[in-house]
Amino acid sequence: MDDSPPPPEATPPPPPPVTSGSPTDFLKNVVGKRVVVRLTSGVDYRGVLSCLDGYMNIALEQTEEHVNGTVTNRYGDAFIRGNNVLYISAAEPL
Amino acid sequence: MDTSTGIQEPFDLIRLSLSERVFVKLRGDRELTGILHAYDGHMNLILSDVEETIMLVDGMDGAPSGQGVVNVAKRKMEMLFVRGDGVILVSPPSRT
Repeated sequence: MDDSPPPPEATPPPPPPVTSGSPTDFLKNVVGKRVVVRLTSGVDYRGVLSCLDGYMNIALEQTEEHVNGTVTNRYGDAFIRGNNVLYISAAEPL
Repeated sequence: MDTSTGIQEPFDLIRLSLSERVFVKLRGDRELTGILHAYDGHMNLILSDVEETIMLVDGMDGAPSGQGVVNVAKRKMEMLFVRGDGVILVSPPSRT
């Protein structure tokens, strides 16, 4: 006689948590990745985030400036003063 | 962080541009190019041999938005102090 309980239902492992962590953790994770930085003026800067500081000053590489969806400028490197930043969005999977 | 260029914080980008010609984007649709002599933590800048470009958009009546005529004014200055709070972006010369 087999009195052992039936095997538990095979449940898929939970998906990797994508919403955990603090804003600081997010920023640590996006350094070195492609990002979109939107300024309060509505201008977007797309490039590789090389670093940022506590004021949210940002150094970007391979930067494209987008206004209304069209590229208006390219910069090899760009320093963006933090007070102008509205958000930083990851443009590739973390 | 960025081992290839030795940049650990954004201000390193500016420090590496001292004595070089930089592009500065300012509030009010203004742009500057000039030789960077000094900066501080506010991004106050001292530039020399500066050319300022001012974009003036004359919105035409009846024209859809974004269709106005863009006038560009330029002027040159020998030496300029830029107050940091007007700075949006600083781009050093490409280090290639």
